[in-house]
Amino acid sequence: MRTSLVFAMASSLGLLATQSALAAESADSNSMSRGAYIARTADCTACHTTDESKPFAGGLAMPTPMGDIYSTNITPDKSTGIGNYSLEDFTRVLREGVDKGGDHLYPAMPYTAYTKMSDSDIKALYDYFMNEVKPVNAPNQESDIPWPLSMRWPLMAWNWMFLDKGVYQADEQKSDAWNRGAYLVQGATHCSTCHTPRGLAMQEKGTDETEKGFLSGADLGGWHAFNITNDKAAGLGSWSDEDIVQYLKTGSVKGKAQAAGPMGEAVEHSFRFMSDSDLHAIATYLRSVPAVDDGKTMETSRFTQGEPVAVDMVVRGQDPEKAMDSSPGAELFMGNCATCHAADGSGSPDGYYPSLYHNSVVGTTHLDNLTRVILEGVHRENNHGELFMPAFGESLTDEQVATLVNFLTSTFGNPEATTTAEAVGKLRSKD
Amino acid sequence: MATQHKADVVIVGSGVAGGLVAHQMAMAGKSVLILEAGPRYPRGDIVERFRNQTDKMDFMKPYPSTPYAPHPEPSSGDYLIQKGEHPYDAQYIRAVGGTTWHWAASSWRFLPNDFKLKALYGVGRDWPIGYDELEPYYQRAEEELGVWGPSDEELGSPRSKPYPMSPLPLSYNEHTVKTRLNENGFYVVTEPVARNSRPYDERPTCCGNNNCMPICPIGAMYNGIFHVEKAERAGAKVIDKAVVYRIEAGEDRRIKAVHYKTPDGTSVRVEGKYFVIAANGIETPKLMLMSDVGNSSGMVGRNLMDHPGTGVSFFASENLWPGRGPQEMTSIVGWRDGDFRSEYAGKKLHHSNLSRTDQMTSRILKQDDRLILGNALDADIRDKAARYVQVDSFHELLPHPENFIRPSATEKDALGLPKPEFHYAIDDYVKRSAVHTREAYGRIAQLMGGTEVEYHDNFANNQHICGTVLMGDNPSNSVVDGDCRTHDHDNMFIASSGTMPTVGTVNCTLTIAALSLRIADTLKREV
Repeated sequence: MRTSLVFAMASSLGLLATQSALAAESADSNSMSRGAYIARTADCTACHTTDESKPFAGGLAMPTPMGDIYSTNITPDKSTGIGNYSLEDFTRVLREGVDKGGDHLYPAMPYTAYTKMSDSDIKALYDYFMNEVKPVNAPNQESDIPWPLSMRWPLMAWNWMFLDKGVYQADEQKSDAWNRGAYLVQGATHCSTCHTPRGLAMQEKGTDETEKGFLSGADLGGWHAFNITNDKAAGLGSWSDEDIVQYLKTGSVKGKAQAAGPMGEAVEHSFRFMSDSDLHAIATYLRSVPAVDDGKTMETSRFTQGEPVAVDMVVRGQDPEKAMDSSPGAELFMGNCATCHAADGSGSPDGYYPSLYHNSVVGTTHLDNLTRVILEGVHRENNHGELFMPAFGESLTDEQVATLVNFLTSTFGNPEATTTAEAVGKLRSKD
Repeated sequence: MATQHKADVVIVGSGVAGGLVAHQMAMAGKSVLILEAGPRYPRGDIVERFRNQTDKMDFMKPYPSTPYAPHPEPSSGDYLIQKGEHPYDAQYIRAVGGTTWHWAASSWRFLPNDFKLKALYGVGRDWPIGYDELEPYYQRAEEELGVWGPSDEELGSPRSKPYPMSPLPLSYNEHTVKTRLNENGFYVVTEPVARNSRPYDERPTCCGNNNCMPICPIGAMYNGIFHVEKAERAGAKVIDKAVVYRIEAGEDRRIKAVHYKTPDGTSVRVEGKYFVIAANGIETPKLMLMSDVGNSSGMVGRNLMDHPGTGVSFFASENLWPGRGPQEMTSIVGWRDGDFRSEYAGKKLHHSNLSRTDQMTSRILKQDDRLILGNALDADIRDKAARYVQVDSFHELLPHPENFIRPSATEKDALGLPKPEFHYAIDDYVKRSAVHTREAYGRIAQLMGGTEVEYHDNFANNQHICGTVLMGDNPSNSVVDGDCRTHDHDNMFIASSGTMPTVGTVNCTLTIAALSLRIADTLKREV
């Protein structure tokens, strides 16, 4: 069971030159089935599991400008789940965003990406859901979108305009690893869903590396999904392949970036279970995604901003009440952050507590992520244990959080980046 | 006076006891109002006050006393009025969250025999409830507070389930001393503490700042504030700076209301169905005596107890480097129980892991026979701080009605409310035990190659305020029954170490927490 399983793709896809490029591989030293592995790569659990004791029973509220929509029960329960789906029904959902009843799904379901998955991967995924997932009786919840906006037929037109149906087509000019990476990034791991900016109709501006804007960064749900193109300043151009693999595996690259929010969840539920060869394939592909800069030339990237500053020297030896008035940012930092991140912002030597300089979220101009991490904290698992940062949303006011964020960027990060109490308040309401 | 607030359950005091009851009742859907005399202190401010204070051993300094709700200040205060043979130098915090803001988080269960001291050894009192009745609540309390404890050492208190967390590894200092003592006939165990060894209850893992007292800077150690905040999230309301000064009983002997003063002296009346007084073992009896409620037994304020402590310090013959990790992780527990308890007090000894760098520095600088500077000074500080050993103890004082606290007839605070006045003495039961403890100290110093051995025979106060509203079956000589309900008033409960009729040999917070959860279960059946 522990043998590393390598699956040849179905012969029906023989038109593809590089069969091995699309072969799913199970995580090392892990006995999960091929279908379970594919479910990990597609991170189905991110949206379809709300209660850990009832995997895939759905019910996650996803806000849209028109009202909340809810993820559905995809357990094999016959009355409320997908127990009556045939392989054809299941394939149609992933490829076309149309359910068994003929209704169009909202494109919150990333079928514009899943459409690229191979027949054999979809079959394996289908077998996994039918045979390995426990049926849970949990009726689906109607969306809160009011009529007439709740009518779903216009989605047909949306699909006609924006859905690029069809299995991933390998590029014979590229390596197996590149093709495997492209297949995963464009398909199952659906990176583009968050990292590609969307147009007026909420469509992604590009679904592969040939389209300008693909993976160039976007704001979504109160978080910023960073530019992960190959641009040296704005994207991941300065990272090594190993950095990318380590980030996906652990959510942390010391002196560069740490995953929190939705990316933290993607690492926790999906990427850390993926094989090294798949993660390397993703890195290989990402390096080839054409660089998109952010409109101005940065002297240094968001990963290299800032340096250690001994903040304790500013406030030590003073009456703390007076120091709170004269240097409120420094006092908020010392009282709330410095115990773990160190008084000079250097974090811990092992990187468990990240440094605040040379830190993506402090060095960027997009302050949503830093602000939300302060408000909500971080709590996720990696393959070595749990990572935890307490939430400060209850103990600090909007004004204090803004003061702290501005202190952090001006001291350890990008001094041009500033926020306001109002902006903090707006992010707080997205909790 | 018009009633200005109403709630199903009105709780006076927002420490670990009040916070736990409030959280449970709010979760049960009841309207809950907590009245707290002191202010709210943000953790970050406390941390920064501590870091800027010069005397790091003054554990009250980061919590400034207020004129409207003064509390003890060891370096400058005049709040506690001492009239007895021995000062009762209590330190407690009047602030939202209470005194567990600064504690070492020791979370011991009592031993089954601690509940029947009179029956077994003919001294002190028996509890109206036994260990078996409290065991499930001890377990729940450990889960609520987040307690780590050893799974491979016998602590003498039978458990229905394992500790929620396993301990962090012992520091080199504690591991070395524990091993040496256990090889030589002592019984040293890893102490159960309410501190995280992994992320627990949305709080981080201890990273060893070594200033549990006076403030855990990251909230890895449990503080009462966490249950106050959880209660608030569940719908409870907290009014801070609300100094309750009167409990109002009706003609049917049910409590009708409590009255509080705001810092400017305005009086506010609060009605409730049930009242829980959780204002610690000193402010609770003071308030009851000021209000003349619950005292038909005449026992309110009496039987004041604590754990009179002695200690020893010396320099070991080897480097131990105290200061890595939490301030205390081990205890010597071989004398918590035994037939000797009919003659002298049971006790627990504990080995300190405080960093002593600052104390050794001032000790060296105070030496007037020589002046050392530069590298020689650094080397001397390093050497002494690395070899310093301190062991302290808790002795079980017995309940004596003549040890008491009462509202001072003459001394008032800024709101005109009486200060607490103490009449307290150390009994021979403790003094006899301390002689034996001193012998144990000498043996420990010898085993560690100790030099410059100093004994601290001062019977220091350890802030375990018990007995002042004690529980018992007999309403003529106790204040509350086994459910912590006052004998005199059906709808008034007391959640406090004050209800404990004996003080045992260990820190009382976990027992306070267990009794509080038990009170909440009773209230859920009635409210």
